[in-house]
Amino acid sequence: MKRHLRLFLRYFAQYTKVRLAYKADFLIAFFSSMAATVLGFGFVLVLFSKIPRLQDWSFNEVMFLYGFSLIPLGFFNVVSWNLYDFGELYIIEGRFDRVLLRPVDTLFQVIFEKFRLESLQEVVTGLAVVTICLRRMHLALGVADYFWFALMVACGAVIYLAVFLILTAVSFWFEDRVGIVPPVFNMLNFGRYPLTIYNVFIQFLLSWIIPFGFASFYPTTHFLGRNTFAVYFHLVPVVAAGFSLLAIVVCNRGVVNYSSTGT
Amino acid sequence: MPAAAVAGARGGERPSSLFWRWLRLYLEFGRVGFVNALAYRLRYVTGIVTYFIYISVYYFIWKAIYEHSTSIEGFDFSHLLTYIGVGWIIRSFYFNNIDQELAYQVMEGRLAMDLIKPVNIQLMYVARAAGESIFRLVLLTAPTALVLFLVYPLRPPASVRHGGAFLVSVLLSFLIVAAINFVVGTFALRLQSILGLMRAKFFLLELLSGLLLPISFFPQVFQKIFALLPFEYISYVPMLIYLGKLDDSGLARAIALQFFWVAVLLAIGNALWSWSSRKVTIQGG
Repeated sequence: MKRHLRLFLRYFAQYTKVRLAYKADFLIAFFSSMAATVLGFGFVLVLFSKIPRLQDWSFNEVMFLYGFSLIPLGFFNVVSWNLYDFGELYIIEGRFDRVLLRPVDTLFQVIFEKFRLESLQEVVTGLAVVTICLRRMHLALGVADYFWFALMVACGAVIYLAVFLILTAVSFWFEDRVGIVPPVFNMLNFGRYPLTIYNVFIQFLLSWIIPFGFASFYPTTHFLGRNTFAVYFHLVPVVAAGFSLLAIVVCNRGVVNYSSTGT
Repeated sequence: MPAAAVAGARGGERPSSLFWRWLRLYLEFGRVGFVNALAYRLRYVTGIVTYFIYISVYYFIWKAIYEHSTSIEGFDFSHLLTYIGVGWIIRSFYFNNIDQELAYQVMEGRLAMDLIKPVNIQLMYVARAAGESIFRLVLLTAPTALVLFLVYPLRPPASVRHGGAFLVSVLLSFLIVAAINFVVGTFALRLQSILGLMRAKFFLLELLSGLLLPISFFPQVFQKIFALLPFEYISYVPMLIYLGKLDDSGLARAIALQFFWVAVLLAIGNALWSWSSRKVTIQGG
């Protein structure tokens, strides 16, 4: 554990140096990341210029939900970079051999080999939006709420990571170049609206099949004082734990199944 | 086969036969794109399901939005549902990955193979993307449209004339998207990674093309700015034509402007390519 923590810090420092070596590239990546985040808000902002409420959810509440979802997403984005090209780079090109040869956990290496540093701006933006929305709604967080908030952010990031690890592990069996990762990535958006607007099928899909609802919607209900979802709120850590367990099992199965390309 | 270059060097041929050689060459690239897509045909089955889920989700989002009003900016719920549904259907056709392909070529050091081909690189990529789009038209767009029209009460085109103009307009949308993606892709030659740029472009196109919501929902100031940009000609304009929201003169003007943007964007891409490819570092290879 201690060794892994030290390795993590080394990996992080090393990659930061690599990224900062190309300053112009990093700046462009940072500003495009910023632009993407701002544009993401566009839909909600334009919409609420036309309507007063979304069902019984106010503008501030929807913005709070959207802002909150950015925080775990930001952390997830920082470490998820390698997952996008995993099938392409590690399986098809056989780079996974190198990972297997090292005496460190394979999953650990794949996740922490690259960091999308610029995505940390999403965390900051999310925190800013959440703070502004709380102010405008005259809501205050208690001491316990700060603890819950941190826990929910961690669980959200874990849920995102677990879902995409499972999808990534699929490339151990099917060497498809694009696969199913991008469509599911776009579904992240759908967990950023109150789940109550959907019918039971989509609510079920976003809760139990691809549990993005547990990473964004259910956590926020507690802070917005909507107690009808209290059970779901308390299930968030359970879902996070369950899905990460599943992810680890699937990944380990995949590694066993891996056959090198011989390069 | 560098048929066009060889023919050009000989010089003595009739222009018409030169044109046919040229066309045959790029049709061949189109065929390659088509066949490449064929190799990953399983992906399109998941594609139909994905599009169905997307549009279902947007159906509920918009249903919640229309709970408090019957008409927003001249769109009632039925018009808006058609706007969103058909908008996504045409996206399954006009969409392409030229920027990502170029980025991969650069990353993997295969760009040299592109550079030594005596063809117009831009046209080569566009032709390949066209082949892929034709493939998707059959395996993704048509089945998705069938399912969606059966499940949701989507409206047909406003009239036969609007339907015809809509088809022309969607073809031009394809060219606009292809040209924009090529422009974004050329940045891969000078930058280390264009992943961030591609992500920003993705969100920019989603919002400013009118895919997520009609441009007329934006505040006036933004509408005026967007009218000067090419993005709303990708989805908003074809959908206005489909829904019959443009009269004859408006229709002609819209399509003329689409042609204009195709020409301008292709020219920008071409200029950027010749500027970027002058100083290329080939990685390893």
